[in-house]
Amino acid sequence: MEIVVCVKPVPDAETRLRASADGRTLDPEAVKFVLAGYDESAVEQALLLKEAVPGSKVHAVAYGPAPRTEEVLRSAIALGCDQATWVDAGGDATGDPIVAARALAGVVAGAPHDLVLCGKQAGDDESGTVAAALGALLGVPDFSCVVDLRWDPATSRFRFQRPVEAGLESWTAPTPIVVGLQQAWNDPRTAKLPAILKSRKATIARAAAAPPPRAYGTPERFELPPPRTGAKMIEYRTPQEAAEKLVRILREEAKVFP
Amino acid sequence: MSAGVLVVGEFADGHLGGATLEAIGVARSLGGPVAGYVAGAGARSAAADFGRYGVATAYAVEDPQLDRAPAGARTPSLRAAAEAAGATVVLVAGSTLGRDLVGRLAIEWDAASATGVTELAWADGALRVRRPIFGGRATETRRLEGERRVVAIRPHAFPAPPEAATPGTVHELPSGAVAPALLAPERTGVAAAARGSGPGLTDASIVVSGGRGVRSPENFHLVEELAASLGAAVGASRAVTDAGWRPTSFQVGQTGRAVSPQLYIAVGISGAIQHIVGMISSRVIVAINSDASAPIFRVADYGIVGDLFQILPALTAEVRRVRGMPAA
Ligand SMILES: Cc1cc2nc3c(=O)[nH]c(=O)nc-3n(C[C@H](O)[C@H](O)[C@H](O)COP(=O)(O)OP(=O)(O)OC[C@H]3O[C@@H](n4cnc5c(N)ncnc54)[C@H](O)[C@@H]3O)c2cc1C
Ligand SMILES: Nc1ncnc2c1ncn2[C@@H]1O[C@H](COP(=O)(O)O)[C@@H](O)[C@H]1O
Repeated sequence: MEIVVCVKPVPDAETRLRASADGRTLDPEAVKFVLAGYDESAVEQALLLKEAVPGSKVHAVAYGPAPRTEEVLRSAIALGCDQATWVDAGGDATGDPIVAARALAGVVAGAPHDLVLCGKQAGDDESGTVAAALGALLGVPDFSCVVDLRWDPATSRFRFQRPVEAGLESWTAPTPIVVGLQQAWNDPRTAKLPAILKSRKATIARAAAAPPPRAYGTPERFELPPPRTGAKMIEYRTPQEAAEKLVRILREEAKVFP
Repeated sequence: MSAGVLVVGEFADGHLGGATLEAIGVARSLGGPVAGYVAGAGARSAAADFGRYGVATAYAVEDPQLDRAPAGARTPSLRAAAEAAGATVVLVAGSTLGRDLVGRLAIEWDAASATGVTELAWADGALRVRRPIFGGRATETRRLEGERRVVAIRPHAFPAPPEAATPGTVHELPSGAVAPALLAPERTGVAAAARGSGPGLTDASIVVSGGRGVRSPENFHLVEELAASLGAAVGASRAVTDAGWRPTSFQVGQTGRAVSPQLYIAVGISGAIQHIVGMISSRVIVAINSDASAPIFRVADYGIVGDLFQILPALTAEVRRVRGMPAA
């Protein structure tokens, strides 16, 4: 099975966020970019399927600027991906998911793909748009929020589930499909040191992104919330007093009480 | 500037759901004509509901096949409805279906898009949206360029509109030219969510979650009783779902559900980052934990340091008292 996994370099969860000088976007200086969140699960899922289906290959693809995008692809290779393509974003700083999807589709359309795996949503913009947009651009069905994705060799179909508002849906689908993955069967693995060292020398193919046909979203302002100063602690002598004070606050101060 | 807005409705038991009502409220607040769209088995009668909320024109695609097909099967009829309604904005709820439609429609209808939106307004002919990003650690404002936009609003970020009984017209539309590839996948079943009698986790305006501090499945009734007194949904940390005390459908966090209720109460939950990302965008967060240094207190608005086995019964009793419910 030919598996493409799309990974986006996103700031490490521990990174302190800061607005850029013009106040429009995140300041990428001093930010450590990593392979994280749902994309880690997507890579794990790709590797699990590769192990389960003999003869499979995993191709990691990422759209973004130098050098962070190549670095994230090296982490994907260190984890066990066979091949990687960097789609150079050049000066695109719109952070628009449709621009990213178009750039990714330019590469994925020309590469073998029985399965295109994305994260359910990227750890930074959390738009959850790219998988569905890729599906439309490739002319392939797409499914978001997928869990427990398996390949059934007897029927040559994928089997998977989706926790949706009404409950848990079960699906089967033939190749190819695009998936926005919520969870792999296992927790993401960590790369071993020899594999990390080897990945530093791996070849990363570079593709230029075709310029988008038009402008989609323009970032105007990036704001940080006033820092959460920690909880206002409720002082009390008895559990009853704690309960009374909390209920009063929730009704009168926070106004969230029904 | 104002332009037509088409609201994509979702319904259950023949009626439009809460998230759709929020979208209708937003659409009405934008000014300009509003129309509705619903698809699937029962769409014709659910479409009549739009009139109850002041939307006079609705488009219904009565095709049970759409219920069993991926979201993309709806885009041909959705585009036809947008065209017929003269809409340049399509608004969807922040549900799984809504999210799937955004990316698909953005490409097929050549629209600019945004999801998880908490504010939107016209600005010099463009739609300007505001949305939390980075798990609520930042907020961005974007201008959506061009003549068409598709926007998913964030659940619970907007009030439902008052009822405004308007005599409505329902127009029926065919599914249109659905690409055969979209009909190859097959939905083989839907298991109703294990949600007890309360609201679903992602729709609830109050969520009470229990963690490992609850110690055993037998003690979980303490969490459930507090939730019941508040009319809240019950959630859990992964420690609880991994131990099998509650099904995984209860899990809040990175690998579970992301929730953004008005009020989130974390009980006996330490506040690991993977849990935090699933609840940080709640409006008000309360933590109850016996360890004053638990990281959950750094993200909570209000904290009680104490033994949940003492605090929860007192809290449930107090909530029942002020809500005029009989003592349990
Ligand atoms: C890839 C990955 C994904 C993950 N995804 C998720 C996820 O989606 N959701 C999630 O929740 N976790 C997730 N986790 C797990 C997460 O890291 C934590 O292990 C988990 O959230 C801990 O659950 P907890 O807070 O209930 O338990 P603990 O961390 O053990 O905390 C229990 C808390 O209860 C308190 N306590 C004990 N007794 C009492 C008492 N009598 N009264 C009051 N308080 C008491 C303790 O002080 C403690 O703070 C994930 C981990 C990984 C590696
Ligand atoms: N720039 C990118 N490069 C590679 N993959 C991406 C990129 N942006 C988004 N994706 C993929 O699409 C998923 C959803 O992203 P988003 O729609 O931005 O929330 C991510 O988890 C990735 O798998």
